[in-house]
Amino acid sequence: MSITLPTRRDEAWRWADLDTLSAARTTPRAEIGDAADHFLDLDGPRLVFVDGAFDAARSDPRRVRVQAIAAETAHPLGMHAAGTGWSLDLDASEAETCIQIAHLGSGGESHVPATLTLGRDAVASVVESYAGSGWANRLTRIRLAEGARLMRSVRLVQSAGFVSLREEAEIGQAASLVSIFLGAGGMGSRIDGELVVTGDGGFAEMGGALLTRGEQRQECAVAVRHAALDGSSMQLWRAVAADRSAASLAARVEVARGAQKTDGEQSLRGLLLDRTATVNLKPELEIFADDVKCAHGATVGELDRAAMFYLQSRGLPEGVAKALLTRAFVADAIDRIGEEPVRAAFLADAEAWLAEALA
Amino acid sequence: MLEINNLHAEIAGNAILKGLSLTVNAGEVHAIMGPNGAGKSTLGYVLGGRPGYEVTEGSVSFDGADLLELEPHERAAAGLFLGFQYPVEIPGISNVQFLRESLNAQRKGRGEAPLSGAEFLKLARAQADALGMDHDMLKRPVNVGFSGGEKKRNEMVQMGILSPRLAILDETDSGLDIDALRTVGDGINRILRAPDKAVILITHYQRLLEYVRPDFVHVLADGRITRTGGPELALELEAQGYGALAA
Repeated sequence: MSITLPTRRDEAWRWADLDTLSAARTTPRAEIGDAADHFLDLDGPRLVFVDGAFDAARSDPRRVRVQAIAAETAHPLGMHAAGTGWSLDLDASEAETCIQIAHLGSGGESHVPATLTLGRDAVASVVESYAGSGWANRLTRIRLAEGARLMRSVRLVQSAGFVSLREEAEIGQAASLVSIFLGAGGMGSRIDGELVVTGDGGFAEMGGALLTRGEQRQECAVAVRHAALDGSSMQLWRAVAADRSAASLAARVEVARGAQKTDGEQSLRGLLLDRTATVNLKPELEIFADDVKCAHGATVGELDRAAMFYLQSRGLPEGVAKALLTRAFVADAIDRIGEEPVRAAFLADAEAWLAEALA
Repeated sequence: MLEINNLHAEIAGNAILKGLSLTVNAGEVHAIMGPNGAGKSTLGYVLGGRPGYEVTEGSVSFDGADLLELEPHERAAAGLFLGFQYPVEIPGISNVQFLRESLNAQRKGRGEAPLSGAEFLKLARAQADALGMDHDMLKRPVNVGFSGGEKKRNEMVQMGILSPRLAILDETDSGLDIDALRTVGDGINRILRAPDKAVILITHYQRLLEYVRPDFVHVLADGRITRTGGPELALELEAQGYGALAA
């Protein structure tokens, strides 16, 4: 496929690891693991995509449909995610929870679109896992009608390669979208989101934790746009960077003219495990209404020395004390996941990453 | 048990301890009193092994071993406990998780088997009960949102769980009301008043010493011990102030 990639001269892509993305497109095919390893023990639909192709034999899609989907977006990477993908359509008051999707890459590039359309007061939850290698490129479009609620939990645990996710959502009146991402693999990543609160009293949340080490680079670039009254939003991101790696968090809140009583909260925090690592933070607020509340905080630092000594003085070796404090830092973001077993699995992934990074 | 000999220490090039010597035997309670800035907290941190506190001269042996050669966690496993003047708040880590991992790390260091979750919880609850701390506070993040008095009580619960041989308690009495002071004093006696244990109480005031009777009272001024006496010395200090006695 011929794809023109964005360049780092473009402000929105200046921290992007496009070299790793390019290299991942041509990585030779390798063995992939067992899809079952990436499913939690939850009853619900299960879908397996191998190198972007639906694997019907290992899937149980139930009411999730696999079909051709057009990539209707101007996003420079998302626009390439057209073809066969998955979609969920729920009518009013329907519920479909614990949908699990495993994306396994053996190398090369894969592009999969998805749509989630929830009718009035419908409820859904989706857990996605990215494993293997290669470039996984995804476009997910979400539309929530009045009172609909969607919880998305996405973990990036590819051992190598690159994962680029583009998420576009319209959140209707009193509807709620919570999307939490964990980058705890060896791949590069770009998590790109544009959430628009179109109905009064809607809630939009996008956040998560990016953990980087070695020469790895991961980033998120997320915008929440409030276009209606009484909306609220949360962007809570945590970045942990070790060695010579870089994690970048760019998050924007836009409040349109007339979107009064908006309550937007943004918390971007970075933790450097080594002085050679980098965390970039770019919090942005763009407010065109006068009666709004937008709290924001952005900090980068090292582990608190007083806390380190306190833990060590009680008998914890330095490495264990570091791991405990770092875990607590990351848990802030993972705790936003509403479903306990999913939260526990994601925390376990983060802990496994920490155990290796701090070894 | 503890033998401090001509200890000199500095922070960022500033000399704080200037030739401090002190011997603590098993079964003894020592009180160290002195004006602000005399080096009392520094002594605690140096013995605990806090980074940034540099020993430039002298020696400290604990049960015959060179204490200064040990990492902070090794000192804890050897039986040393440092009660903090300002216990640190640690969001995201529960008291129970922190203390169980700490105790099991110490046990591992001593070649003992780890305690199970149930065994640990039983121990933790018993210690919390003895110090009048609500069980819910065991589940809460370490010291987060605790009042000054609750933090000090939590230090004593930690000490009860870890059961050290030598505790250095840095102004454990500050921030406590009269009832809490009695509870904490009783806790110190219960946990540490034993023939094989010892305590160093660092304090400004005589009032804790009414509950925990010291065998020795030392005056620490300008980085060294300038006077040593029995419990009556604390009363004398309370009456006359440090100015008259420190010199």
